[in-house]
Amino acid sequence: MSWSLNEIESLARKAARGAGLSWGLAEEAGKATRWLTAAGLPGPQALADLLTRNDGADYDALCPVEAREAHWVAKGGTLCPLIAGAALCDHAEALAAGDDMTLGQTASPMLLLPYLAAAARLTGRGLRVSWGELTVTLDADMDLQPANANALHAPMADSVRIVCTDTRLPDAPPPAKGRGQMPPDVQHRLTTFAQRTYAPATEASRLAGAGAGLTDND
Amino acid sequence: MEQTQSKTIAPRDPAVVMQLGRLGSFHQSRLSFMRILLRRMEAEAWTFDRPVFDIDARGVGRAVYSAHGPERSYSLVAFANDLPPEKRSDRVIATEWDATFTLFDGVPTTADLDRLQNNVPKQEAGRVSERELSLSRANRSVRLWDYVVGKLAAGEQPDQTTVEKVGYLMRTTAVYGSGKFGAADREDTADRAEFQAPFQIEMLSVFLTRAFVMDLVEHMAQLRAPDTAVPLDPDLRRRFGIGNSTGLGMAPFLLTHPALLNSWIAAREEALARIRSLPDAHPSEVDIFRSFALRARLHTQDWYSDHPVQIAKLDDLRADTAALLAHLDSVELTADYPWNRLWLWAESALSVEGQELLASLLLEPYPHLVDGLSSCMAADETATWRIDGAMSSTRLRALIEDIYSWALDTDWTTPEAQARVWYTSEEKLEPRLGDRFDEPVEPYEQPLCPGRDAARMYSDLCATSETTVAGFLMRHPEHRHIVRRAQITARLPYAEIRDNTIADTVMPIDMLRLKLSFFGACHFDPRSDRWVRITMYQHAPFPHELGSRSGDDWAYPFLTGGAA
Repeated sequence: MSWSLNEIESLARKAARGAGLSWGLAEEAGKATRWLTAAGLPGPQALADLLTRNDGADYDALCPVEAREAHWVAKGGTLCPLIAGAALCDHAEALAAGDDMTLGQTASPMLLLPYLAAAARLTGRGLRVSWGELTVTLDADMDLQPANANALHAPMADSVRIVCTDTRLPDAPPPAKGRGQMPPDVQHRLTTFAQRTYAPATEASRLAGAGAGLTDND
Repeated sequence: MEQTQSKTIAPRDPAVVMQLGRLGSFHQSRLSFMRILLRRMEAEAWTFDRPVFDIDARGVGRAVYSAHGPERSYSLVAFANDLPPEKRSDRVIATEWDATFTLFDGVPTTADLDRLQNNVPKQEAGRVSERELSLSRANRSVRLWDYVVGKLAAGEQPDQTTVEKVGYLMRTTAVYGSGKFGAADREDTADRAEFQAPFQIEMLSVFLTRAFVMDLVEHMAQLRAPDTAVPLDPDLRRRFGIGNSTGLGMAPFLLTHPALLNSWIAAREEALARIRSLPDAHPSEVDIFRSFALRARLHTQDWYSDHPVQIAKLDDLRADTAALLAHLDSVELTADYPWNRLWLWAESALSVEGQELLASLLLEPYPHLVDGLSSCMAADETATWRIDGAMSSTRLRALIEDIYSWALDTDWTTPEAQARVWYTSEEKLEPRLGDRFDEPVEPYEQPLCPGRDAARMYSDLCATSETTVAGFLMRHPEHRHIVRRAQITARLPYAEIRDNTIADTVMPIDMLRLKLSFFGACHFDPRSDRWVRITMYQHAPFPHELGSRSGDDWAYPFLTGGAA
C-alpha cells in the first residue's frame, strides 16, 4: 500500500506538533517529510526516530545557540534538525552571501536537507552540506542517492558543514509528484504522536462541537 | 491631440473585503468553479456515457458515469446502498450512507470496480489509490425522495413548488480530494488543463453525481411500478440540483491555504474593479444586466431557510433586489462610469448581502473581461510559504500594524474576544468548535485564530532586542506560524481573514459560505451557526444536455422557465 504525499505531510505535521514542536515548526516538519519522501528517501522513518528521541525535551535544550561566529550548537548537546533546519532557512541570505556555517552534534541530519534545499531555492544559490564521509550538493542537479547511504541515514552527526556553491539555480521546478511508503511501525509511531493533538471524544462535544442539527433524516 | 480622461478603479481594500460578515454574504458568479468546469466541457464538446448501471429493486448496486474530454476520460463510480433510516446522518462521524462515490482517473475495469466496491462504501475506513481522484458520499433527502418515487411510479409529475422547497434528492456530506485516504494528490493532476482551476475534480464528481441521482430516482420508480412509471419532465428535472451538507471541516482549509484564498478573492475583486472602471456601457450590456437582476430576484424568492439569521438576511436581500430594480428604472447606465455609479449607490443603499449579490451580477454582461481571470484562481502555496528571516523586526512590526490593526485594537483579555477554541476530535477527526472557558479543549487548540496570535506576537516583537525576523524566531518559535501568515499577506493582500475567528459572536458558517460560494453553491440554508446546507447545479444542464443547452447560463432561474 502506498501513501499520498499529502497524507504523509499531514501526518508528519500533526506528529511533530504532538511531540511538542510549535505549530510553525510542525508545519515545516510536515513539508520536510514530504520533500524527503518525494525524493525517494525515508522521511517518515527519520521523523519518527527523531520525535521518539526528543519526546519530552525542552525547546531550549534543542535549539541552536551561537557558540562562536557561524558555529551553532545545542545547549542540551544535540541539535534538532527540524529546529536547526528552520533557523538555517531563515538565514538563507547569509548562507548565499558566503557565510559558511557549521553545526555541532546533530540528530538525524538527513532531515536538514529539505530546509537547505528551500534556502537554496529562496536565494537561487546552491548549497553543499556535509557530515561524516558524506557530501550532498543542493542545486539544480541534486543527487540524493549517494553511494554512502549509511551516512545519509545516520542517526547522528558529530558536526555538519554548510557552504555556498558558485552555481545559480534555475527557476523553481514544478511541485514534486509521487507516492510514499511508510512501514507499519513508523505509521504507528507517527499516528501515536499525532493522536496527542486530538481532543478526547465526549458526549457534550459530540452534540455541540460540530453544531449539526439533531436529525438529518429529513 | 485631446487627452482622454480615464480613471481606473482599484480593487477593494482587503480590510473591507476580508471581514467575516461580508465573506459570509458572497454569492456565486461567473468565476465559480462549477461554471468554469461547465464552460470548459461545453467549449471542448465533452461527451458522456454510462457504461454500468446495475441497481436492484432495493436500490443496491453500482453504476459508472464516464466523461470524455479531448485528452482524457474520467468516471464517477457510484455505489448505492439500502440504508436503514436510523443510520442516516450527515455528520463526519456517520459510518454508512445512501450512496458513495469516487472519481476514477480513466474508465475503470471490472477488477477496478471490485477493488473499489470493497473500499469506497467504507469511506474514511477504506483505502483508495492514485487512480482515484476524489472520495464522496451522499444521503437522500427523505422528505423529497419518497415523494418523487411515489409520484413517478404513479405516472405523475411531482409538484414544482414541493421540489423547489428542498431543491435536491440527495445531498453530499463530504467530497474529499487531493490525496485523502490514498487518493491522488492535487499535484499529480494540477498540470492537466481541465484541472488547472481549483476544485475541478470535485465539481466534476458532483456534476456526475447529480446525473446518477436523477437516473436512480427514475429507476426506482420504474422498478416499483413498471406499467405506470414515467420519467421526470426534462424542465422539471433540471430544477433538481444536488445538495450538500457541511460542517466545520471546510473552515480550516481557508486558513491553511492563504495563497489560494488570495487568488480567489483577488480574481473576483479584479473583475469587479475592471467593470467599475468602464467609462460607458452598451445598451445591450445594460439589458443583459437588467435581465440578470430580474433573475436574481426570482432566485431570492426560491431561497428557503429556517435559520433566524438567514431569514433576516433574506428579508434584506429581497428588499435589496427590489430597490436595485427600482433604481435601474430611474438611472441612465450607458455613460459616465455607469457601473461605478451603481456600485457607489449600492454601498449606501443595500445591505452587505445585496452589495455582494450586485458584485456577482455586474460580472454577468462581461465574459470577455471576467472569464479569463479563472486561470488566475489556482495558487502555488510554496511560492510564498518560506519565512524571510532577513526581514527586520521593525518591518515586521509595521506589517502587523497594517494587516492586523483590528486585532491590535481588540482587548484579548475579555472572555468574549477568545470565547471559542477550534479543535479536532479524536472521533473520526471531526473538526469542532468548543467553549474555551467551559470545556477542557484549550490544550488541543488549532492555529486558526490569526488575529489573537498576531497580537500576542506583536507584544513580544515590541519587547525584543533582536533586529531580524530570524533572530526573533529563534527565541520565539511559538510565533513562527503567524510570522509566516503576516509575510504571506504582505505579498498577497487577500490571503488573510481580517476578523476574529474565535469571538463569542463568530459565525463559522460565514467561512463555509465563502468557500461554497466560490464553488458555485446557492440557497445557503444554515442549520446552526456552524452547519449549512446548500444546493449545487440547480437549473444546470445534465451531461447529455450540455451543448444543446448553455454550460454557463444556468446559475439564476430562467424568467420564462425555459430557454438557454
